Amino acid sequence: MIEIATEPWEMMVRHAELTYPNECCGAMLGRLNGGSKLVTEAIPMENAYAGEQAARYELRPEDLLEADHQARARGLDLIGIFHSHPDCDAYFSTTDLKNSCPWYSFVVLSIQNGKFNHANSFLPDVDQTAAEREELKWPKF
Amino acid sequence: MAKILIPTALRQFTEQSDSVDVTGATVREALDQLTVRYPNIKKNLFNDQGKLRSFVNVYVNDEDIRYLDKDGTKLTGSETISIVPSVAGGATAVADTAPALSNEEVARYSRHLILPEVGMEGQTKLKRASVVMIGAGGLGAPLGLYLAAAGVGRIGIVDFDVVDASNLQRQVIHGTSDIGRKKLDSAGDRMRDINPNIRVDKFDAGLTSENALEILRDYDIVVDGTDNFATRYLVNDACAILKKPNVYGSIFRFEGQASVFTYQDGPCYRCLYPEPPPPGLVPSCAEGGVLGILPGIIGVIQATEAAKIILGIGTPLKGRLLLYDALEMRFRELKLRRNPECPVCGDHPTITKLIDYQEFCGMPPMNAEPAPTGDAIDAIELKRKLDRGDNFVLIDVREPHEYQIARIPGARLIPLGELPKHLRELDLNGEYVMQCKSGARSQRAVDLLKQNGFKNVVNMTGGILAWSDKVDPSVPKY
Repeated sequence: MIEIATEPWEMMVRHAELTYPNECCGAMLGRLNGGSKLVTEAIPMENAYAGEQAARYELRPEDLLEADHQARARGLDLIGIFHSHPDCDAYFSTTDLKNSCPWYSFVVLSIQNGKFNHANSFLPDVDQTAAEREELKWPKF
Repeated sequence: MAKILIPTALRQFTEQSDSVDVTGATVREALDQLTVRYPNIKKNLFNDQGKLRSFVNVYVNDEDIRYLDKDGTKLTGSETISIVPSVAGGATAVADTAPALSNEEVARYSRHLILPEVGMEGQTKLKRASVVMIGAGGLGAPLGLYLAAAGVGRIGIVDFDVVDASNLQRQVIHGTSDIGRKKLDSAGDRMRDINPNIRVDKFDAGLTSENALEILRDYDIVVDGTDNFATRYLVNDACAILKKPNVYGSIFRFEGQASVFTYQDGPCYRCLYPEPPPPGLVPSCAEGGVLGILPGIIGVIQATEAAKIILGIGTPLKGRLLLYDALEMRFRELKLRRNPECPVCGDHPTITKLIDYQEFCGMPPMNAEPAPTGDAIDAIELKRKLDRGDNFVLIDVREPHEYQIARIPGARLIPLGELPKHLRELDLNGEYVMQCKSGARSQRAVDLLKQNGFKNVVNMTGGILAWSDKVDPSVPKY
């Protein structure tokens, strides 16, 4: 189970809505508590995909490295990656799976007509052949 | 001792340690130590062949080892080694929505499909791609042929011209039987004959400030095969505004240029040439000539760049101007940088919509009034003057090799470039008729004589081409 606190959640939704109609991306920091994860901070990142970004995103490894440094400095863990699917459901696409990494939770936000619609979290396997749905809790207003 | 920082998710394999100290002379040795000490972490970092998994990047301090010596990168013992995943994705995987290739297409593209850099994924990208060619002439000919053959799914052509005999020496997409047909139709038929799987969109028009954004908006890539500065600046500015890659090529006599403009953060044509040359300084191919084979090589370079951009492979020709000299058989390369002050692609662009490019290039508007009569005579009138035996001198300002092809009887040859030093031989009060191939250079000769005090000088409109059309068809047109 992964739970996202109010402040990072608002940051993620805002980043996704502002980046619409392109895909946004970023990292999530927080704490592990046994099997469950709590996200206490979100770091919006630049979509580095060189091309049409309406349906693609790419994170710079340097940005992830920096996020990892920040997490360590504050006694947090880098626990997940988020990105948006503009005008598209929050599923884990083949492209997502083939470019994933099994160490993190992947939260996908569906943005419909510029507004947040729904979200899901996924845990890809090490061979990039399948991704398991993970229970996701975000603050409901 | 070097230190390996362990990402959160992998700490379950390292007894919750967030860093592990290792010795080892190289990154590979350091990682091997890690996996010997914590065997369960191995599967997360290496595949069954023992290679680092595709999503694993290793940094030594702040440097990616791919840009150092890969896993042979040397360690002195004080480094921090970070393991960083590469992560990407997107809503639609190409393979999810792309039209599948038919059996006929699989057979047709088999030499592409067996290239790992292309494969089914790349060929599908080509099929989904759209490219618009500005001009179906010298550069457009090889472009159209190869883009069609390569399987680019939708190809737009913008051209208003008809096939002329003088095109066939270089515009290999058209044949002798196409003379008089629209280039759009001739090129379209040839491309669809090569590859019936593609779609050809025909725009029977010159590209203008009014229609450019509308036409180009609909395509992934623009390929510029134009032969004049006004259209070249128009294509450049439209691509900068639309943020589309502009694959540029140009040719003259025995030399060519190519580059990729307005692609990613690269420069544009205006970063290279902020202003067009004064009109008339750089002759067109019609005036200066061109080796027929030359557009073949430049056009194929443009087609290659377009295909690379679609496939996302190799190093694009952006930020580089490729210069080709056929006589020396030499390629050179100039580095180009985006100019932050560039009026169209700079940090604070001042040109945000299309302007009047005829005016920008110092040319009279397309529908300008013809020069007032009295300064010009046509071929028929020249013939009458000659027949009447009027007292005037006909001066042919073309080059000697052109004079050898065809001439008007009685014309005296003084090439335009040599005219200034022959002025003293001419009579200020004499009557002169200036003539060239089509009337452009002779008009400049008229201007030159008038500036030097000659009163009675007229241009022969249409040049020797008009003479052949209207007076003496036995004179060959070139």
